[in-house]
Amino acid sequence: MARLAALRRDDARPAQRLSARILRFPVPALRREATRAARQTNLAAAVLALSVLADSGVEHYRGSFRNRAMFVPLGAAALTLAASLLGVADDRPRRHPGRDGVYALAAAVGAAGLAFHAYNVGKRPGRLSWHNLFYGAPIGAPAALMFAGALGRLAETARDGGRVFGLPAERMLAAVSALGLAGAVGEAGLLHFRGAFQNPAMVLPVTMPPVAAGLLAATVATGSRPLGRAARLWLKLTTGLGLAGVGFHAFGVHRAMGGWRNWRQNAIDGPPLPAPPSFTGLALAGLAALSLMLGPDHA
Amino acid sequence: MPERFPGYDVLAKRRTQSWNDQTRRVIEGRLTVDPQAHSFFDDAEWRTLQAVCERIIPQPPERQRPAPLAAMVDEKMATNAADGYRDARMPPMGAAWRRGLAALDAEALARHRRTFAELAPAEADGMLSAAQGGLLAHEAWAGMSAELFFKQRVIPDIVGAYYAHPAAWNEIGYGGPAAPRGYVRLDFDRRDPWEASEARPGREAQAWRENQRVGRS
Amino acid sequence: MRQYAEDEAVDFVVVGAGAGGGTLACKLAEYGFSVVALDAGPYWRPLEDFASDERHQAKLYWTDERITDGENPVQLGSNNSGQSVGGSTVHFAMVSLRFRPEWFKARSKLGYGADWPIDWREMWRYYAEVEQALKISGPLTYPWGPRRPRYPYRPHQLNAAAQVLAQGAEATGIKWTTTPLATLSAPRGLAHPCVYRGMCVIGCATNAKQSVLVTWLPRALAAGAEIRDLAMVGRIEHDERGRATGVHYHRDGLWRFQRARNVVVAGYAIETPRLLLNSASPRFPDGLANGSGLVGKNLMVQSNQAVWGVHPREIRSYKGPPSLSLTEHWNYDDAKDFFGGYCFMSQGTLPVVAAGIHAKRGLWGQRLIDEMQRYNHQVGVKMVGECLPQERNRVTLADETDRFGLPIARVTYAFCDNDKRMIQHALGAMRENLAAAGVGELFDETDDTCHLNGTARMGDNARDSVVNADCRSWDVPNLWVCDGSVFPTVGGVNPSLTIQAIACRTADRIKALAARGEL
Repeated sequence: MARLAALRRDDARPAQRLSARILRFPVPALRREATRAARQTNLAAAVLALSVLADSGVEHYRGSFRNRAMFVPLGAAALTLAASLLGVADDRPRRHPGRDGVYALAAAVGAAGLAFHAYNVGKRPGRLSWHNLFYGAPIGAPAALMFAGALGRLAETARDGGRVFGLPAERMLAAVSALGLAGAVGEAGLLHFRGAFQNPAMVLPVTMPPVAAGLLAATVATGSRPLGRAARLWLKLTTGLGLAGVGFHAFGVHRAMGGWRNWRQNAIDGPPLPAPPSFTGLALAGLAALSLMLGPDHA
Repeated sequence: MPERFPGYDVLAKRRTQSWNDQTRRVIEGRLTVDPQAHSFFDDAEWRTLQAVCERIIPQPPERQRPAPLAAMVDEKMATNAADGYRDARMPPMGAAWRRGLAALDAEALARHRRTFAELAPAEADGMLSAAQGGLLAHEAWAGMSAELFFKQRVIPDIVGAYYAHPAAWNEIGYGGPAAPRGYVRLDFDRRDPWEASEARPGREAQAWRENQRVGRS
Repeated sequence: MRQYAEDEAVDFVVVGAGAGGGTLACKLAEYGFSVVALDAGPYWRPLEDFASDERHQAKLYWTDERITDGENPVQLGSNNSGQSVGGSTVHFAMVSLRFRPEWFKARSKLGYGADWPIDWREMWRYYAEVEQALKISGPLTYPWGPRRPRYPYRPHQLNAAAQVLAQGAEATGIKWTTTPLATLSAPRGLAHPCVYRGMCVIGCATNAKQSVLVTWLPRALAAGAEIRDLAMVGRIEHDERGRATGVHYHRDGLWRFQRARNVVVAGYAIETPRLLLNSASPRFPDGLANGSGLVGKNLMVQSNQAVWGVHPREIRSYKGPPSLSLTEHWNYDDAKDFFGGYCFMSQGTLPVVAAGIHAKRGLWGQRLIDEMQRYNHQVGVKMVGECLPQERNRVTLADETDRFGLPIARVTYAFCDNDKRMIQHALGAMRENLAAAGVGELFDETDDTCHLNGTARMGDNARDSVVNADCRSWDVPNLWVCDGSVFPTVGGVNPSLTIQAIACRTADRIKALAARGEL
């Protein structure tokens, strides 16, 4: 612990070199920290997978599962969720090939889904129009499954200090988290625009997460600890926002015609309950990346 | 002909979110219309009206709750539930019906020596077709055009009554009342679980099963 | 609700609380005038009063007798005439379109009909005001005409029937758009968004429909206006100087009199001329405001023909607002063999209306029953076409009287050759559209009409018009007409948005005139 604390005091050192040292010279405490962050990343993947599982469940139920392929993301998300929960429980500092495989599968299914949804949007009258982005197959949903897979892969990589595309896992993790948040902001922005931002709270998911993502990216780029502290704060707020969003959306279902008693309509046509936690998952991943870079969060 | 929407009963949805209290009251009122009740038409007119309704909308004899079309027409006349406009060539609604029914009877007696209600279905259809084509001109019409009577009274009043009845909704696979719950799936070939399922060739059993579930809340 | 005494002269008594009168009553009350709006119909509470039933909801329509004649007698009642506080907007299809700018100068710019005494740029501002007030859900960019501000709410999803029109338009190379609709695509205040129950034209039991009843009238009440329902106005009274003094109206079994400093007639294109004609007096033997002789003349319906067919896939057009997509292509194309234009839009039909369409083409008995079994596969498109003003098309008084003892209206209508050419053109275009979208067994619905306008037209001088640009009578200076009656031409789009825009403009003009002491 003393060694770790000494490292953490060494503010002048660029973050990447710091983390590289942590991972290159496996000291039990450092390994423990890396494993802890990896498990948090598994948790992030779990939350994202849960969001995808519930969301694609509802949306594909709306689509009456007309195409057998519409079951595939449910299976992939369920597997990802299970693997991620096992990962959360696993404190061994090694990657697990089974989980790794599931995560790769999730990413692949997400990518295929993305292509499929894009094809679906493109064949509707009006092609790539605002209207089809509003009401066609959503682009963001399969992307979330891709991100769940990517986060999981990085969780596994982080356990043994590996690198991805030549970058240390935590930098990749931060990038994926920031990119994912940007995507989620785009999706929320699109759908809240469709809802005419009729409730002032609808601007929160398009204003808070971008700050968090920006600070995360800036921290990775500069290695600045003050920025890192700010990033942690905003990521935590974003984590909470994702959970609060479920409450907001539950209220939205309630205030639609017939309220919750008309759940068979409103839980589908109203604001989607499973969507906001994707912010929570992505923000958790960002927090894990910061832990890997900057050491544990004692705030 | 096999049923197109086997096992579909829009009334199974009565207790679901698709119906609200005011709709339940209105439809209940329609279902409890006494098929033999008539206060506007006299007995002779009533018999003719019933016979006309049976030819304009022949309902299957095995139907448990046929739409009481003649009684619905009578109710419309008795309450003077007018349309809001009248062709200048036509007498007021109730008077037009009285004269038209009497004229059909007079034509039937003249042509077949039986009242309209006693005609065989093909004979009755023939007379109604003649009215539709403007080919009836018995003096009992008293200047009213049989063609206009058919187009502006017979058809709208009887057809309008029938397709306002749940029996017809079942036959055509209409979703029926829809408030507070409306519909979610609006795309081609999509149905909500609370809508009628069509028995396309090869999926009759599936359609029947799905139609048994429309009343689940 | 504030209430006014009958013997207290209010600033304005408004006859009819629909698209024209309801909007104007709201705006005038907000400008500080004392206002009583009388309406012949009841003040509905949609959430409690509206059932999901075509037959029952006939209570929304003007079902008192009217006589129709002429070569093409028009259908009234459910088709275009409301008797409810909120008027026909309680059962309208919510299609909220702007006029093409040139239509305001149809005579000078396009060579037919008459010019409006109003500039389109001024109307553009009032359209924007109404679109905001109704939170119109519309496309992000509208494909025709000059730029307009973004619609306040986003467009609704398309049902299958609307996609058929879109597919047909793309296959034939003409533009289409999601229809700007006065129904909510997202919550607004306490109002629920649309649940796509598809019963818009029999009254919205969701309150998503942004009718006059749920938009302008709550504002009117908040600003101190009184809405007196079930009040049938029979006659406008005037003094020896020829100024209106108030209205006689029937309520709770009695004839009553409401004094007013100004009278606004907003009964729509049949009841407005009927009231003006029924208010004839020794001083105005031809009816009030009728120095031009034009009250009741130039009635314009809009042609409402359709083409229907059968789609191999399930359409179920009973779901969603009835007209979710449309094309205005032929409103903005001038290479046609007729004057004026038309749009056509996707259709949703409830069973009674659907059966009526088949019955009109002669089907009854088993053939009708068999045809209706394909109800869920039936799909069609319907035009709203610009009929030209003709003096022979008119509203007059019949010999019969109604339950109040008032002479009823006789409505005389005939299409002119130009109208008939337009209808043929539109039927061809609609057939082409449906055929290109894979719809089979096409047939025409040839005799439908919709909307009523033009029986008290506005204009630049007292000889050729009943009211001026401010909707003020040329003959009786404190008498105003504010509804579809004032349209000199009718355009090829649904009129409700324009009626409301005119009402907003009239309110602004009245405010300005009052400030100058010119009321």
